[in-house]
Amino acid sequence: MATSFENLPEELQLATSAHVKYIQSLDTRKDEYDYWLTEHLRLNGLYWGLTALHLLGHPEALPRAETIDFVLSCQHPNGGFGAAPGHDAHMLSTVSAVQILAMINAFDELETRGTGKAKVGKFIADLQNRQTGTFAGDEWGEEDTRFLYGAFNALSLLGLLHLVDVDKAVDHIVACANFDGGYGVSPGAESHSGQILTCVAALTIAGRQDLIDTDRLGRWLSERQVASGGLNGRPEKKEDVCYSWWVLGSLEMIGKAHWIDRDKLVAFILRSQDPENGGISDRPGDMVDVWHTCFGLAGLSLLEYPGLQPVDPVYCMPKTTVQRVLGQSWKKTPLSSSAGSI
Amino acid sequence: MATNGSGTSHGIARTSRARTEEQRHQELEKIRKYRELEDQVRSQAAQKEFGPELFQLTSKLLRLNPEYYTVWNIRRRSLISGLLSRRSDGSSPLTESPISSQTATTQASSAVSSSSSSDATPPSHESQTTGKSGTIAEDSRNVDGEHEHASNKQQDSDATKAAAEKQDLDVLKSELAFTIPLLLESPKCYWIWSYRLWVLEQAIQRLQVPVARRIWQEELGLATKMLTKDRRNFHAWGYRRHVVATLESASLGGESMVEAEFDYTTHKINQDLSNFSAWHNRSKLIPRLLDERGADDMAREALLNQELGLVREGLNVGPDDQSLWYYHQWLMLNLVDHVGKPTIVPHFTLENRVTYFMREIREIKDLLEDYKDVQLIYESLVDYTLSLCQLEERQPNADEKGELVRWLDKLRKLDPMRSGRWTDLERDIGLKKLRQKQTQ
Repeated sequence: MATSFENLPEELQLATSAHVKYIQSLDTRKDEYDYWLTEHLRLNGLYWGLTALHLLGHPEALPRAETIDFVLSCQHPNGGFGAAPGHDAHMLSTVSAVQILAMINAFDELETRGTGKAKVGKFIADLQNRQTGTFAGDEWGEEDTRFLYGAFNALSLLGLLHLVDVDKAVDHIVACANFDGGYGVSPGAESHSGQILTCVAALTIAGRQDLIDTDRLGRWLSERQVASGGLNGRPEKKEDVCYSWWVLGSLEMIGKAHWIDRDKLVAFILRSQDPENGGISDRPGDMVDVWHTCFGLAGLSLLEYPGLQPVDPVYCMPKTTVQRVLGQSWKKTPLSSSAGSI
Repeated sequence: MATNGSGTSHGIARTSRARTEEQRHQELEKIRKYRELEDQVRSQAAQKEFGPELFQLTSKLLRLNPEYYTVWNIRRRSLISGLLSRRSDGSSPLTESPISSQTATTQASSAVSSSSSSDATPPSHESQTTGKSGTIAEDSRNVDGEHEHASNKQQDSDATKAAAEKQDLDVLKSELAFTIPLLLESPKCYWIWSYRLWVLEQAIQRLQVPVARRIWQEELGLATKMLTKDRRNFHAWGYRRHVVATLESASLGGESMVEAEFDYTTHKINQDLSNFSAWHNRSKLIPRLLDERGADDMAREALLNQELGLVREGLNVGPDDQSLWYYHQWLMLNLVDHVGKPTIVPHFTLENRVTYFMREIREIKDLLEDYKDVQLIYESLVDYTLSLCQLEERQPNADEKGELVRWLDKLRKLDPMRSGRWTDLERDIGLKKLRQKQTQ
C-alpha cells in the first residue's frame, strides 16, 4: 500500500513540517479578527490541533503544561467545561477537554487541580434524557446524536459509562436509523455522514455493532465517493475533506473501508493542503482551518499514509492513547460484523 | 466572514494573509471594539445584572458573532429574569443546576409543577380553572418565584394578566424577528436555530393556546423560506419536522398535517428531482399517510404504483441520479423487508411481491436500451435480482447467474473506485466459483 504513495508527484507529498508550524501558529493570531470570532471553538480547536500533531508524530509541538493550564481554566464548578474561560459549560467542549487530557496523559491533573473525574462524569450524565435516552448539549436542552456520541466517548475514557442508561441510548440510536442504513440527528431525520459516524461509534463503544445494517450502510457510505476522489456527506452534495473522516471512519468501523478508492482519496486530501503555509482546506484551493487539517490527517492515517501515527476510528485519537487509557483500542476485524472490541 | 455554521472555513478561496499596515491597523481597531463589547457583556453577566442594558448589548454582540453560544444563553437569562413577565421556568440555569434534560415541552410542565410547590405566592384556584385550553399556559401564569413580583400577583386581575401576556407576546415576537436576519446570513448556525426553538417554547408556556399556535404556524413559513433558499439545508428540514410535530401536538390543540406535508414534498420534488431530503421526508410520511387515510388494500397498492411511476418518470430522464434510486430502493424494501415495520402493502402475498420485483427488474432492463453505461442501473439490477431470490428463498438460477456475472463485470469497468465492493459482492453470492468453473 505504502509504495503507491511514494510515486505521487512532489506536490502530493504530505507537508508535515508546514502543518506542524501552522498548528503552532494558531494561538499567536491574536491580531486577526477571526481569532476572536472563533473563541467559542477554542477548546475544540485545541483538540483538533493536538490530534493532528499527534498523528503527525509531533505530540510535543504544543507545550504540555500550558495545555493543561488552559484546559483546566475552562472548567466550571459543576464539572463541565466551556469553550474558553468565561464561556458556558457545554457537552462539546467538555468532550474535547477529556480527549485532550487523555492524549497528554493528564487525568491525574483533573483530580488534583480540577473538579475531579466524578464531577465531569456527573455533568455529562445529567444531560441524558432519561425518557428517550438521547443527550442534550447543555442546560438549554438542544438534543442531537452528536451529544450522545460525545457523552459515550468521554465517559468511556473516564471509566464512567455506567453513570448513564446505555440501553436507552442504544434504543435511541436505533430509532434514528433510516432505510438506507444511515442515521440522522434525531428520529425521522435524513441520514448524514457526520451523524452516521457518531451513531456507529456510540454503538461500537456500547458493544452493539450487531444492530447496524452494515451491508446497506456500507453501500451508502461507499457511494459518497465522487469522481474527484473526495467524499460527500449526503447524496448529490459537494465533496469535502472532513468527510474523509466521517465517511471513512464509519466504513472502517464496519469493516468496509476497502469499498472506496483509497489512492484517489489520498490524492484529494493532499491536493487540499497548503504545502507552503500548512493546513488543509475543505477542497483544493480553499482557505485552510484546523478542523479540516485534523480530519484530513485522520483520514490519511486511516488510509495508512506512510509516516502517520495510526488513528482510532471510534475516538479520533491516536491508537496509542486509546490503548493506554482503555487497555485496548479498536481492531480491524475484516469481513466480519462482530461487535466492537471496546 | 470566514466562519460559517461549524465555525470553520467552507468554500472560501485561499488568499494571501498579507495585509497592508493600514489594513492591519483597521483590523486591530475592529478587534478592540469587539473585545470591549464582549468585556461589557461578560462582566455584567458575571454580576448577574440581567437588565435591559445587558440585553441590548447581547443584540449588538450576536449580530457581530451569532456563533457565540454563551451570549445566546445570557440573552435567555435576561429575558427570563426581566423582560418576560414572569418566571415559568423553575429549572432556570441561574440556579446553576443542570436540567433534567427532557425535551423543552415536557421540561416546561415538570418545571411548572416543581416550582409551584415552592412558590412564594400560591396561585388562586379560580384562575387555575379559568382556561380549559392549554393547561401549560394556564399553569405557568401562576408560577412566579420572584419576590419582587409577589405583591403584583396578589392583585392579579384579568386586566393585568392580559397586559402581561401582551407584553410577553411582544417580547417573543421581537425575539423571533431579531433572529431572522441572522438566520438568513448563517443558515447553518446551530445556536440560532436552537435559540429560536427556545423562544417558541416560551410562547407555549406563556401565551394562550390560540396565540401561541399562530406564532408556531408562522414558523412553517420560515421553514419554507429557508428551504427555498437551500433545498437541502438539514437544519431547516429538521426544524420543519419539529414545527409540524408541535403544531400537531395536544399542547397546541393541533391535528394531523400529514396530507399537507406530503403535498409539500411533492411540490419540492416537482421543482427538483434530485432533492433527496424531500424524498427522505416522503418516505417517513407515507406509512402515516396511509394509516390516517384508513387506506384499504386497493388504495395502498394504488399509492405504491403511483410512487413507482413517479420515480420511473424521473429515472427515464435521469438514470444517474442517486436520489431517485435511493427512493426506489425504499419502495422496493417495502416489498421484501416488511415484517414488524410500517409498510405500504402489508396485505401483499408472496406472489404479489414477486410480481412487483419482476416487473421493476424488467422496467430497469428497458432503461439499458437508452443508457448503456450508467452504473446505478447495473447496481440496481444486481440488488433487485438478489432480493427476488431472497424473497423466494432460493439461489439465483443459471440465467440469473449469467446476468449477475455480466452486470458485475460492467460495474467493475464503469465504477473501478468501488472495485473492493464488487469483489466482496461477487464472493458473497458465490459467483467467483462459478466464474472459475466457466473459465476451466
